[in-house]
Amino acid sequence: MLSEREFKRYDRQIMIYGFGEEGQEKLKQAKAFIAGAGGLGSPAAIYLAAAGIGTIRIADHDTVELSNLNRQVLHRDEDIGSGKADSASAKLRKLNPDIRIESITDTITEANASRLVGDSDLIVDAMDNLPTRYLLNKTAIDKGIPFFHGAVYGFEGRAMTVIPGKSACLNCVYHGVTAPEEKFPVVGVTPAVIGSIQAAEVIKYLTGLGELLTNRLLNYDALSMKFTEFKVNRDPDCEHCGKL
Amino acid sequence: MSAEIELSSILGRYTNKQLNIKVEGSTVGECLDDLFRQYPDLKKMLINSEGKLHRSYDIYINGASAYPMEMKKPVQDGDKLNIVFIIYGG
Repeated sequence: MLSEREFKRYDRQIMIYGFGEEGQEKLKQAKAFIAGAGGLGSPAAIYLAAAGIGTIRIADHDTVELSNLNRQVLHRDEDIGSGKADSASAKLRKLNPDIRIESITDTITEANASRLVGDSDLIVDAMDNLPTRYLLNKTAIDKGIPFFHGAVYGFEGRAMTVIPGKSACLNCVYHGVTAPEEKFPVVGVTPAVIGSIQAAEVIKYLTGLGELLTNRLLNYDALSMKFTEFKVNRDPDCEHCGKL
Repeated sequence: MSAEIELSSILGRYTNKQLNIKVEGSTVGECLDDLFRQYPDLKKMLINSEGKLHRSYDIYINGASAYPMEMKKPVQDGDKLNIVFIIYGG
């Protein structure tokens, strides 16, 4: 049941055709796990908090550094040295005190991934490395919850939504390929776009509106200012989802 | 067969910023050979020491994945190939 304050707060989105009070209630009841409070996690978390996702659990093991601030817009100069999850949570609570924000400062590993995700309804993949992305992809599949992938490099970004058992997963698309962990180039506007797309996909999934970015890998190239869509298929031999 | 290869902008540094390149070939492998004839510096980025496509790249033909056995996939006149670098940053 939405409060009078919530009706006022979310009035403009409740107005959207098909969204309504029912859609807002679905957002309120939802619990989102955001893996990473950096370039992608910042815009994704900001827009999910602003939209009224009832519980946001945001995880990051890192601390804020000066070199993060060109893109990780949840953090401020005075946050340098603070834990990213706590820094992000503090801003999100100020943005929307009507929702619950849970902060996790921990490294996501094979041993703890399932526990950290817990009873979340979905995972937003805002990580900065492929091994943890695969781990979260597998965790989402094991739990039967959707996985909202996003990645960036320079002026280029990608996004895809995974519905376990119904659409191609990250491992179907990338076949377990890993890349050496290196400092990657990026300008803030790229994760701003991709993180917002991930948040839009979450809102669409929860409200049941629109067409999800499933079996489609969306490529955003800001230099040519083009969105390109690639068709991807489930791999029946996928080690993550092939048996579903 | 004449096809067009669209490169990820990340690769523009090896092609004088050209991202859409006309190539000739009846398979992906032949089209890539023609691409490397035009832009030799690309070869070391895309092809590994065993002569295979580096695993950090994916190829799409008319928007559909060419994986697996990408190099042997047939190419028709007017096809569009995308060479996409696997990105992981957040």
